[in-house]
Amino acid sequence: MPCRILILAEHEDGALRETTFELLGMAHRLAGDAGWPPSGIKAVLIGQGLGDLAGSAAARGAAEVICVEGEAVKDYTCDGYTRVLESVIKAESPEIVLIGHTPNGWDTAPMVAAGLGVPIATECSQVALESGRPLFTRKAFNGKFIQVVDMGDARPKIATIQKGAAPAYTGTTQGAVRTVPAGVGADQLRARFVGIKKGEGGAVDLTQAAVIVSGGRGVGAPEKFGVIRELAQALGGQVGASRPVTDMGWLPHEHQVGSSGVTVNPKLYIACGISGAIQHIVGMKGAGYIIAINKDPDAPIFSVADVGVVGDLFEIVPALTKAVKEAKGRA
Amino acid sequence: MKTLVLVKQVPNTDSPFRINSAGTWVDESNLTYGLNNYDRYALEETLRLKDAGKATEVVALTVGPERAASALRTCLATGADRAVHIKDDALAAADPLSVARVIVAAIKDEGFSLILCGLQADDDNYMQIGPFVARLLDRPCATAAMSLELREGTMRVERELENNRLQIVDLTLPSVVTVQTGINEPRYASLKGIMAAKKKEIKVLALADLKLSASEIAASAGRFRTVHLATPPKGKGAEMLAGPADAIAKELVKRIKEKTGVI
Repeated sequence: MPCRILILAEHEDGALRETTFELLGMAHRLAGDAGWPPSGIKAVLIGQGLGDLAGSAAARGAAEVICVEGEAVKDYTCDGYTRVLESVIKAESPEIVLIGHTPNGWDTAPMVAAGLGVPIATECSQVALESGRPLFTRKAFNGKFIQVVDMGDARPKIATIQKGAAPAYTGTTQGAVRTVPAGVGADQLRARFVGIKKGEGGAVDLTQAAVIVSGGRGVGAPEKFGVIRELAQALGGQVGASRPVTDMGWLPHEHQVGSSGVTVNPKLYIACGISGAIQHIVGMKGAGYIIAINKDPDAPIFSVADVGVVGDLFEIVPALTKAVKEAKGRA
Repeated sequence: MKTLVLVKQVPNTDSPFRINSAGTWVDESNLTYGLNNYDRYALEETLRLKDAGKATEVVALTVGPERAASALRTCLATGADRAVHIKDDALAAADPLSVARVIVAAIKDEGFSLILCGLQADDDNYMQIGPFVARLLDRPCATAAMSLELREGTMRVERELENNRLQIVDLTLPSVVTVQTGINEPRYASLKGIMAAKKKEIKVLALADLKLSASEIAASAGRFRTVHLATPPKGKGAEMLAGPADAIAKELVKRIKEKTGVI
């Protein structure tokens, strides 16, 4: 079957990443809307010794998994992945290529596009057909606006897709697995994988926290984080932060919530003085209940919050800390 | 070692943003502009290589309208040696791939060993120009660098991954690296730097100088068109609370109890 939609099946630590199944979910929905048979949905998997993972992708949405194996592509490098992806895309000639907007996805995808001479829409939250044309929805201006992009007659149309943008494919498939050699030697690559290391810090683990109270640029200064800490303490929670806060050194990097920090799933998330750049929202939108406090009524954070307060966080947050303590005292 | 930093002038994030009448981008008439924040970190990395005696020259390049010259002057005042401004009316609606092609046409014979830029621009957030330029030059690239270390013929880059992890990768020079914020503390221009910048060269290039045609740019722009720019829907819609702080706090506690059970 001709390939209509090709997805990159990303893997990490010996398992397929969740984004792989989300891309397959998106591919199935798109194919359904376009009237394309599911047999045109293929996945490309790159690495070494990936037989089991290929089988798993073939069972969970891919009609065919093109498993590209080789010592040179055992670990991710932009050079290795870009060469493989360009050659698979040329051979398969899909209409749409979906790649996760992950650190490796955003690293290789634009290179592939430039190599093929086609545009790319990055960090898309949605791909939808309008009069038969796929339109790619993404955020611009750090989440202030939504941008819809039409890539005209480009073939393929390449997009990187935000984590969690589509539900994972839940059906089962009996796809085929085709293993092909990478066709590139490590000596030909201009990028060499050295290793993975842990960043600084590590004492704080926000991923396990039931309550997170986060401060953003709106807190204004590192010494003003006291009000945030007090509320977190009153709720038995942890202190989080947006990227500018950790970039400016107000808090260590391990407190950063977002696509470049940690992804969190607390029962309660309170965002104080955080405008809600997309990179922050991606990391916290899975929280059970979200309270946003910001002085700007148009802050994008209110679009993901359950309840919002427009006002001065230095008035609202201490009042909330007091009310929480009172409520706990009564309980 | 010649180094190049690709920069962009972008609207300041506290500008009054409004959508233009066509509904396709922001109305630029009321915006104030500055050097893209990510690019300040990229510039700082090149200046540190120069301070360490490893970079012989730091060149700043931008593609943009007349006003973008001020972003280059900021780079020159901060320490860049010279600047290149690619400016042409035909580039007003250029797509990112065209912008990268234009950059490559301007630099391909310059012999830069290292090309740095910010991970993304604060306006479009595309994250494309660095990798595009790398691929068009057929050179390796690494994105979201949190550290750079120049070695024998290679650049060791620590790329930011998720969950506080970093990938270490060695790129053979020449190479392109996009820089994440927080990699360093960017310096500001000194008064002396500002004075010195007045004598530094900003070379202006138009499409014709690069042997590129407006029709090529237009054709490419047709494959990357913003059909719509809008304020995001309020999602599930936050319930907005108003009133005195104490009353709001009581309402919030009520909801925290009902919805989360953490109190």
